[in-house]
Amino acid sequence: MLRFAVRRALLAIITLLILVAIIFMLTRVFPSDPARQLAGPFAPQERVDAIAAANGFNDPLTTQFGRLLKSVVTFDYGDSFSSPGESVISLVVPALKKSAQLVFFALFLTLPIAIIGGIIAARKKDTLLDRLIVTLGLASASIPEFVSGVLLQYILGVRLGWFPAISNVPDNAGILTTLDYLVLPALSILIVYFGYIARITRAGTIAALEADYTRTAFMKGLTTSQVMRKHVLRNSLQPTVAVTGTQIGYLFGGLVGLEIVFNYPGLGRLTFTAATKQDFPLLTACVITVAIIFMITTLLADLIIAWMNPRARLNLGE
Amino acid sequence: MSDGHYSDGKYTGDEPRDQFPAAAEDSIVGAPGEAIIADEVSPFHALKDDDDIDVVAERKKMRSERRRLLWRSPGFLIGLFIVFLWILCGLLPDLIAPWGENEVVRLADGSTIPRQGPSGNAYFGTDGIGNDVYSRIIYGARPVLVVAPLAAALSVAGGTILGLVMGYYRGWVDEVLSRIVEAFLSIPVILLALMVIVVFGATNPIIIMTIAILFTPVVTRTIRSVVIAEAQLDYVTSAKLRGERGLFIMVREILPNVSAVLIVEFTVRVGYAIFTIATLAFFGLTAGDATAADWGKDIATNYRLIQSDQWWPSIFPALAIGSLVIGINLIADSLDKVAKA
Amino acid sequence: MDWKRLDAARGSVGPVELDLIEHYAQGKVSRRDFVRRGTIIGLSMPFMGAIIAACGSDDDTGSSGTSGGGGDTQPPSTQGDGGGGGGGTGPTGGTLVVGIQQGDAASGLDPVNMLDLGTYNVLSQSFEYLVGLGDDGNIAATALAESWSPNESGDVWTFNLRPGAIWSDGSPVTSADVAATMDRLSLQGNAGLSGVIGEGSTDSSDPAVAVITLLEANGNFPVLVSLFNAQSLITPADYTDGTTLDQRPEGSGAWVLDDWDATTNVAKFSRNPNWWGGQTPLDSIELRGFADISTAVTAMQSRDIDVIQQFPVIGGEGLLNDGNFVVLSPPSANHRQVWFNTQQGQFTDPLVRQALAWTLDRPQMVDTLWSGRAEIGNDHPVLSSLPFYDPDAVPQRVRDIEQAKALLAEAGVEGISTQCDTGDIQEVPQLAAIIQQNAAEAGFDIGVATQSNSTFYGAAWCPGASATDPTLPCDGSAEFGIVDYGHRPTPDVYFGSALATGGVWNSSNYANPDFDAQLSNYRTSVDVDGQKAAVGEIQKILWNDVPACYPYFYNYLSGHDNSVSGVQATALGHTILSAATKG
Repeated sequence: MLRFAVRRALLAIITLLILVAIIFMLTRVFPSDPARQLAGPFAPQERVDAIAAANGFNDPLTTQFGRLLKSVVTFDYGDSFSSPGESVISLVVPALKKSAQLVFFALFLTLPIAIIGGIIAARKKDTLLDRLIVTLGLASASIPEFVSGVLLQYILGVRLGWFPAISNVPDNAGILTTLDYLVLPALSILIVYFGYIARITRAGTIAALEADYTRTAFMKGLTTSQVMRKHVLRNSLQPTVAVTGTQIGYLFGGLVGLEIVFNYPGLGRLTFTAATKQDFPLLTACVITVAIIFMITTLLADLIIAWMNPRARLNLGE
Repeated sequence: MSDGHYSDGKYTGDEPRDQFPAAAEDSIVGAPGEAIIADEVSPFHALKDDDDIDVVAERKKMRSERRRLLWRSPGFLIGLFIVFLWILCGLLPDLIAPWGENEVVRLADGSTIPRQGPSGNAYFGTDGIGNDVYSRIIYGARPVLVVAPLAAALSVAGGTILGLVMGYYRGWVDEVLSRIVEAFLSIPVILLALMVIVVFGATNPIIIMTIAILFTPVVTRTIRSVVIAEAQLDYVTSAKLRGERGLFIMVREILPNVSAVLIVEFTVRVGYAIFTIATLAFFGLTAGDATAADWGKDIATNYRLIQSDQWWPSIFPALAIGSLVIGINLIADSLDKVAKA
Repeated sequence: MDWKRLDAARGSVGPVELDLIEHYAQGKVSRRDFVRRGTIIGLSMPFMGAIIAACGSDDDTGSSGTSGGGGDTQPPSTQGDGGGGGGGTGPTGGTLVVGIQQGDAASGLDPVNMLDLGTYNVLSQSFEYLVGLGDDGNIAATALAESWSPNESGDVWTFNLRPGAIWSDGSPVTSADVAATMDRLSLQGNAGLSGVIGEGSTDSSDPAVAVITLLEANGNFPVLVSLFNAQSLITPADYTDGTTLDQRPEGSGAWVLDDWDATTNVAKFSRNPNWWGGQTPLDSIELRGFADISTAVTAMQSRDIDVIQQFPVIGGEGLLNDGNFVVLSPPSANHRQVWFNTQQGQFTDPLVRQALAWTLDRPQMVDTLWSGRAEIGNDHPVLSSLPFYDPDAVPQRVRDIEQAKALLAEAGVEGISTQCDTGDIQEVPQLAAIIQQNAAEAGFDIGVATQSNSTFYGAAWCPGASATDPTLPCDGSAEFGIVDYGHRPTPDVYFGSALATGGVWNSSNYANPDFDAQLSNYRTSVDVDGQKAAVGEIQKILWNDVPACYPYFYNYLSGHDNSVSGVQATALGHTILSAATKG
């Protein structure tokens, strides 16, 4: 198990290196002049030159890439371009916390409902209920999350006033108040992810139900609930765990539209702002942060799977 | 590869060296739109009974059997019907739509009716400046049906080439490419697309290429896993014994046998491309004429009207996207099921 | 008519002021225009009140004055109490949340370089202008200058600074600070002041008096150092170019910046206990940025915010119909300028430009995009309510497709295929869509290209001045596009920056010596007749030459919950909260 984890971590570091190279190439071919962008469109050329010199925009690319690598290792990306005097990390950390709150609350809502839905659909395979769950999931997941977000926001937030329509959590808010502010974006995530998670769980459960070991268990005379607990769930939830692990990374960085609709200061909106303001240090830091989260959560998911299923451990290199 | 591993609840196929178990679940990085089918896209199913020596003849028989099954599957027929309707709209919008895509609805007295709800004058209501929402949805089918399949086809082509090379040769080529693929997979597609399109500007070729490139790693992974499994089968071994070159084996021997996976993969990508294009449009990153009908763009332009109770100019295009994605998914689903049967 | 009082008044003023008083006494300008113009040239409210009283109150042409104090003696009370609502009541406490634009400028809280309304609003809470805002929405002596006056020729203006105004380190605001600020603005090429003042324009020998010498006479100079030239905030003398408020939160205004989040543009302020205007009723204020204006509307509808900086009609109808929402609609010359590149591309022939102007269905635009909350424009940037507007200069353009076709034929052009470039801001893309449809009938095949606003400014609107040709201030600007212009109480900036030869915002690359001559006449006229004559000529020139179409002037909409009071808004994004109360 330990060897497996170490190996995975090493590979993740190599992947991260490649990712940094990709991002570096992208930000370096930005056609605009970053120094001009920083100085403002009407600033005198001398100031633009001074800024270019101060930020090392004129250094050789290898030097600049070296600097970037150092930033990644030390978590020190220097100062943001768009907010002079603020260190990038001081902008990323609060946004990361905000995203974490929303993501975990949304998963807390989504996972139980979707998993139960998936298991029910699998147990009632090919019945009306199964079709309903699958089709509903398909339909809800095919509407972009910002559209369902706006609908929820307007109906539940503005018209009915059940939940705050805008997710600007007040400072010093307690946990319940915070969650209250997060209900609507979390529900929007639920709508999009219910169908996905439910279908993964359904597929996993069906496979487990049809597997030899399940048949053997039934033949041994175990009751349905015993079989489900001891044999089916342990195997059927593995794909769900794997997918959840990877989707957490997506949720941290990919909810740009939703965060804009709810004016939620998460990592997605920060990345979007950084991209539109062409704030390279901030943009790089955001994308790499999301990638690191992705790698950690997928690693965790693998470890959980390995723990759930000894045979997986074998296969994974022990 | 987890596709293979999980699809039947036990670990088959791939060898331990392969290090992206979790990542293999298709959709992983990306909007859920694509994810929908991913769980059932399991390439290995297609190969379950392939231990026969006379693989080729057996497969021919299977193919005609599958076609028969396909045409009797209601999901497939419904999906085909939906997609066909949209293709019709994309081909002949002038004949179907009562108004032009850029033509405000005018009543008999010449007056305009901006932001009015569905009525006999405009079946789906009118948008912010008074265009007919219904007509714009019909006109909006064409760009979606051009851009999304093109991007999907390119990504499947790229993914197939890479997947063949990686899966057939393995070794260091595979190791290196795998790391790059994984690097791409670790960032949400929408973030990368945002970056690329902000850099290069939003034109149709750029959008198509961006989506194609960003989808390629996902496709690569799937194809690679299938190819690895195929490469262990007897017909490949015998081709090697015959002294065939690698290129020949990949293109003439393996490729035809993974075509079912390619088709499923293509349909999945089309659905997801539509989703991505709509999301990019939401951020104002669209190509071509800003006033041309485009579902994603129309949603982005009009969603703010919902708070004035004017839901129709954004919800109807959203439903159009939903119906096309569902239609394509139904087709993909049925193709996959039949391939497994 | 009380001749004695009038004569006494006449004897006490210079020629510029005298000209205005004569015009009013002879009934040539309305009372409203008299007050407006009088404020600009520095007449005090009690003085103008005395003149109005002396002339009797029979004049009623300016009926729409906002504060209708029954007749003769009290014009809008702007003098003195400086917006400090404190007076006798004392602080009531509490906090207020204002939804503002997030802004897309990358320059941060830099007063000299800011470009968006969100940043204007944040910075103007801590810093103050020389000239402030009156109750009537025009300028008044409510900020750092207590009073001002021109010399006889109108090229030297003297501003008396407010005693008691101090920076947060306790040092007084002096004329040296004003001088340094003016120099920074001049060096920076500030759109309102370039060509008006040069470096070293301000004499600061008396710390309490700033004497500014202009490059040439300008009858509207106080407007250019008021909040309507948003960047002209007075900053400490040792402030260097590029310094931002969050680095040095040391203003002289009513609020002190406690915290600012750069990426979301959330700014938190608390009361400045040492403000010269007294104690603000509220303890603190928070300005909260919204990436999307419609999200701010949702926040206002659900009362997550108390005040909204600005909202559009499309998508804002929910607020307009909200009985518990108070709409503020400050005077506004906000408009969209549909420019043509007059030197490059397909619109170099004025006939072609005229043709396009004739195709526009302006009433349709006003009805569709603004639900009637806009005034139809006539292809010049002069609002009809301005005192020097000449209603007889040119006829109103009304859609005429035949005329447009005839003009195209005369120009020898058969249909034009072009692209209209716009930023993605408010209703602008939709305006482009209407223009596209309107012009199609005359044979214009127009594509619309929309980019993010920040990209649009640099790429399509004004990519930069030509190094060789001074008549090309925006070399390579799009041949046809739409840009947004914020409110200014006088059209000086619209003329000088957007249309004058070499102007910094002249995306039309318009270079017409006749126009420049008339602009100079307008600027140097310190009398009403002179201004009116020049503006009339300008209207004619622009109407015939059409370097740009001006389809409408829209009403700026701001507002707040009805539990809030004392909020003042300008059409340039300011929300003034020093007198605001809540609850």
